[in-house]
Amino acid sequence: MNMRKRYRGVIGVAAMASAVALVVTGCTRGGDTNTGEDGEAAASPGITDDSITFGITSPLTGPTAGPGNCTVDGALAYFGAKNAEGGIEFGDGKTRTVEIKAYDDTYDPQKALANFQQMVAEGVFAAGIGLGTPTNRAWRDAAIDEEIPQVLVMTGDPLFSNREESPWQLGLVATYPQEGEAFGQLLADSGEEHKVAILSQNDDYGEGYVEGFKNAVEGADNIEIVGELTYEATDTSVDGQLTELAASGADVFFNAMSITPLVISALQKAQQLGWNPSWFLPSNTSSPTAILEPGGGAAFPGIYTVAFSEAAASPAFQESEEGQAFMAALGEYTNQDGIPGFPHCVWSWIGAATLEQAFQNMEEPTRESFMDALLNISDFDAPFMLPGAEIDTTIDGIPAVSTVVVQKYNGKGYDTVENFG
Amino acid sequence: MDTFIQLVIDGLALGSVYAALALAIVLVNQSTGLINFSQGAMAVLSAYFAYVLIGWGFPTILAILGSIVVSFLLGAIVERLLIRRFEGGDPDTAVVVTIGLLTLFTGIAGWIWGYNNRQFPSLFPLETVDILGAVVSVRSIGTTLTIVGIMVVLQLLFQGTKLGLALRAVAINPSSAAYSGLPVGRLLMIGWGLAAALGAVAGALVAPALTLTPGMMDTALVYALAAVIIGGLNSPLGAVVAAWGIGVLENLAAVYVPFIGYDLKIAVPFIILFVVLLVRPQGLFGRKVVVRV
Amino acid sequence: MNRMSKLLSNTWVRVAVVVVVAALLLIAPLVLPVFANQTLTRMGVYAVAVLGLNIIMGYTGQVMLGQIFFLGVGAYVTAYGVNNDWNIVVTFFAACILPGLLGLVIALAAARLGGLAIAMVTIALPIIGVPLAKRLTDLTGGSQGTSARFSSAPDWTGLDNDQWQYYMVMVITVIGFVLAYNLVRGKFGRAMAIVRDNEAVARSIGISPYRYKVMAFTIASIFGGASGFLYMVAVQYTSPETMSFAHSISLLAAMVVGGAASIAGSLIGGVYYVLVPQVTNAIDPTVTAISQGIILVAVLFILPGGLVSLPRVIRRLTRKRDTAVATSPQTTSPMHQDAGQAAEGPETERQGQS
Repeated sequence: MNMRKRYRGVIGVAAMASAVALVVTGCTRGGDTNTGEDGEAAASPGITDDSITFGITSPLTGPTAGPGNCTVDGALAYFGAKNAEGGIEFGDGKTRTVEIKAYDDTYDPQKALANFQQMVAEGVFAAGIGLGTPTNRAWRDAAIDEEIPQVLVMTGDPLFSNREESPWQLGLVATYPQEGEAFGQLLADSGEEHKVAILSQNDDYGEGYVEGFKNAVEGADNIEIVGELTYEATDTSVDGQLTELAASGADVFFNAMSITPLVISALQKAQQLGWNPSWFLPSNTSSPTAILEPGGGAAFPGIYTVAFSEAAASPAFQESEEGQAFMAALGEYTNQDGIPGFPHCVWSWIGAATLEQAFQNMEEPTRESFMDALLNISDFDAPFMLPGAEIDTTIDGIPAVSTVVVQKYNGKGYDTVENFG
Repeated sequence: MDTFIQLVIDGLALGSVYAALALAIVLVNQSTGLINFSQGAMAVLSAYFAYVLIGWGFPTILAILGSIVVSFLLGAIVERLLIRRFEGGDPDTAVVVTIGLLTLFTGIAGWIWGYNNRQFPSLFPLETVDILGAVVSVRSIGTTLTIVGIMVVLQLLFQGTKLGLALRAVAINPSSAAYSGLPVGRLLMIGWGLAAALGAVAGALVAPALTLTPGMMDTALVYALAAVIIGGLNSPLGAVVAAWGIGVLENLAAVYVPFIGYDLKIAVPFIILFVVLLVRPQGLFGRKVVVRV
Repeated sequence: MNRMSKLLSNTWVRVAVVVVVAALLLIAPLVLPVFANQTLTRMGVYAVAVLGLNIIMGYTGQVMLGQIFFLGVGAYVTAYGVNNDWNIVVTFFAACILPGLLGLVIALAAARLGGLAIAMVTIALPIIGVPLAKRLTDLTGGSQGTSARFSSAPDWTGLDNDQWQYYMVMVITVIGFVLAYNLVRGKFGRAMAIVRDNEAVARSIGISPYRYKVMAFTIASIFGGASGFLYMVAVQYTSPETMSFAHSISLLAAMVVGGAASIAGSLIGGVYYVLVPQVTNAIDPTVTAISQGIILVAVLFILPGGLVSLPRVIRRLTRKRDTAVATSPQTTSPMHQDAGQAAEGPETERQGQS
C-alpha cells in the first residue's frame, strides 16, 4: 500500500516535470537565427543596428560580492553615461547603445558556466569583465567552443592572455606575476642587503605574486628570503603567521593578500609585535583610506604597492573632471553608495573604455571583427591610468594592462617611485 | 619560547571570536533544541544596527546596548512568526529554514549597507600589554574576558535558575513542559531572543577586527559550529573550551608540524577530537546528548 | 485529484505513464533549446547528489553536512582519469568507488559514535577538503582547478554536445534512481527507517544500527561520487571551490525542500538546486541572496514536508472538503505522531522524531 502510493508519486512528479518543461520552454531548437542579408557579413547574435549586449557573470552576493559588484558597476556606469549621450559610434558607421546584462555566480564555477550558457541562450554578443579565476576558467572552454569573446576578465591568471591557448580571451588587469615581479625588480635593483618575509594567499593569486617576485630577485645576491608562509582566503586571522614571520627578523615583508580585513589586522598585529618592516601590498588591497588608515600604515618605513590606475579615494581623482563624471555615473546607474571601497569599480570603468575602443574600431558587426579590433589597441590613453602604466592589447601573453608602476605610501595617497627606500 | 607563548595567546584570541558565536548557538540549542545556522547572519545584522546607531551619534557602548535590545526583539519575532511553524515537526526542516534565513539576512545586509568593509569602533583599545614575554592587545583581553563572563552567566542560567530550567525543559520535551504549566511559546521566544541578543554581543566584539561586511561571520560560523559540535551541544563551557582549543591547536600545529602548515591546520582539532570522541562519545563536556539536527 | 489517483493506481495506466515519461525523456533533448538541455543536465547532476544525501540523512536519520565533499572527490577522480586517458567506463567506476571507499572508512569510525560524531566528521570534510585539494596540486591542478573534456558528442551519434551530455547524465541518473528506489522500498529501506526512528528498537529486533549506518553512509558517498562524475560531464571543469561548505549546506537545503526520505523529493531537490539560482538571477542579479532566502523559507512555511508533499496536501484538502471530517493533520501534536502515522500510514513518508 505504502509503496504503491509512493511509486505513483515518483511517476506523477516525473510526468508533471516533463510536461511542464516542454510546455514552458515551448519553442524548439532553432538553427542560426542571424542569416546575413544582401551579401553583408552576417551579424553575430547580440548586435543589431542600434544596440549591442555584453554579459558579465561575477559574484554579486556572497563573500566576494564587494569587488564582484564593482566589476559590474564600473561598466554599468560607463555605458550608462555613454548611452545617455546617444550611444557609441561603431567602426561600421552605426551608432549603438551598449546593454550590460549582469549575472550572479556567487563565485561558484558551476554557476558561472550556467550563467554563460544562459547568456548564449539570451544571445549576448560578448562577455567578460567578471571577477575570479575559477569562475572564469569554468566557462573558458565553452566560450572557445561557441566562439564567443570572453574578454577583459578581472583575474591575473596568465592563461587568459595566452593567445594560442585562449584565442577568444583576454585579461584586463596585470597578471599576478607581473605585479610581483615589478616590486621584486625594484628591491633587487636597490643594491642593499634585504631579508624578505613572504605571506601569500594559498591559491593562484598568492602563488602568482610570489612566483613573479622570486623570478625578479633570482640571482640578486642582496636579497635573502628568510620566511615564507601562506594563509587561506577564508581565514579570520593571520596573527599566527605574523608572529612567526616577525621572529624571522626580516626587514621587508612581501604580503600577497587579497582580503581587506586581514590586511588591516596584519598591519595592526605587526605594530603590536614591534615589527616594522617595509611592506609590499598588491594593487587590490592597498587602498589608503579603506586599509592603510585603519591599519595604521604610517607606522612603517615604507608601504609599497603596484598600481596601474588612480585610486578613487585620492583627492586628485575626486577633483578631476573625469573623476567627477565617474562618481556621478556610479551614483546614477548603480547601487554604489559613495566612494567605492574596492579598486575594481575603477578597473571595470577602464575595461569599459577599452571595450569602447574596440567597438569604435570593429568594422563588421561580428565577433571576429570585434576580437580583431580588441587585440589591436595600443597607444590608448585610457581614463584613470597612472603615468607610466598603459593599455596595450597587442602583446601575446600580456593582458590589456601591459605595464604597471611601483608606488609608495606617503601618509595620504601614493607616489610613483623609481627606487626602493 | 616567546614565539610559543605568543602563538598560544594569538590562538586564544582567535578562539574567542569563534566562541562568541558558539555560545549563541548553544543557547538556542539549549532553549529550542535546534541548531540555528542563521545565528551568524543575525549577529551581522545586529552589528549593522549598532553601526547605524553610532552613525547617528550614539556612543559605542550605548549603540551596542541598543542593538542588543533590538536583536532580542528580532530573535523573538523570528521565532514567533517563522520558527513556531516548525516546532514539533521534523527538526531537519526547521534547521533548513535557518539556512534559508542565513541567506536571507546576509542578502538583506548586503542590499541595505552594500558590501564595502566598514570600520566598527572597538570598546577596547588596541594598546598592548606584555604577558610572559608575549604581546597581547587590550582588545583581545577584553574580548576574551567578555566571552568568559557570558559563558559563566549562561552556565549559571541553565543550571541554577528557574528560567534556565524551564528553557531546557521546553527544548527537551515541549509537550510535557506544556502539561506541567510552562508557557512554552513564550519560553521559546525568550530563548531565541536571548540568543539573538548574545549574537549582538558577539557581532560587536568581532566586528572591529573583521571589519563589518555582510559575510563577516561566514567563516566564524563554520568554526563556531565545529566548536559547538566538538564541545557538546549542551555545554557553554564545552563550546568555549573547544573554540579556544581549535584556535590554539591549529596555530601550534601550523608552526611546529611542518607537514601540516597553515593550509591544513584546521584538520588538527578535528583529528584530535575524533580520537577523543572514540574514547568519550558524548563530547568533552557534554552530558547525555540530545541531537536534533 | 481523487479520480486521478484512482486512475493512476490501475496497472496498465501506470505502465503507460512509464512509457510516456521514458519517451518524453528520450525525445525532449531533440526538440528542446540548448539551454534547456544544459539546465536539465545540471538538474540530473544534483538530483543524484541529493539522492545520496537523502539515503544517509532522510532515510537513515544521520546528520550529513559534507555530501559536497564526495561530489568533489568524484569530480577530481573523473578529471584525473580523463586526463590520464583511462577508459571512460573505468573512470566512472573509479569516480564511484574511490569516494565510496573513503565514505566507508569514515563511516566505520564515525558511526560507532552516534549522530554528533557523524555531524562533526562530515562538517570537517569540506572544511579540510578545500585546502587539501589545493595542496595536492599534482592530482587536482591546485587552486586553478582542472579541466577535463570528454563529454563532447562522438561524430557517429550525429548529436550536439548538449544532447549527448543530457543523455549521459540522464542514463546514469535514471539508473541511480531505480537502484535507490529498489533499495529503500526493500528490507534495507525498512531497516534504515527503524534505525532512524529508534535505535533501541532496531537492536531489539536484530538490526545492527552500526552496520546500517555504515552501509547507508557508504552508499551516500558512492552516489556523491557518481554525481561528481556527472558534474564533470556537465561542467567539464572543477576546482576547490566546487566543494565549499556553503554548497554542502545548499545541497542539504535542496534535499529538505524537495522532500526528506523521498525518492521523488530527491529529484525535485536537484531541480530546485539548479532552477532557483537561475530564476533569482532573472529577477534581479544583485539581490539573489534575498530572493533565494525568501523562496526557501516560503516553500517550507507552506509545505514543511517539502515540495513532494504538495500533491498530498492538495489531496488532504480536497478530501477534507468532500467528507467534511475534521482530521486536520497539521495540528497533530508531536506526541501523537505515532498514532497519526498508523492511521495515515501511506500518506506520510516521514514524520518527525519526538
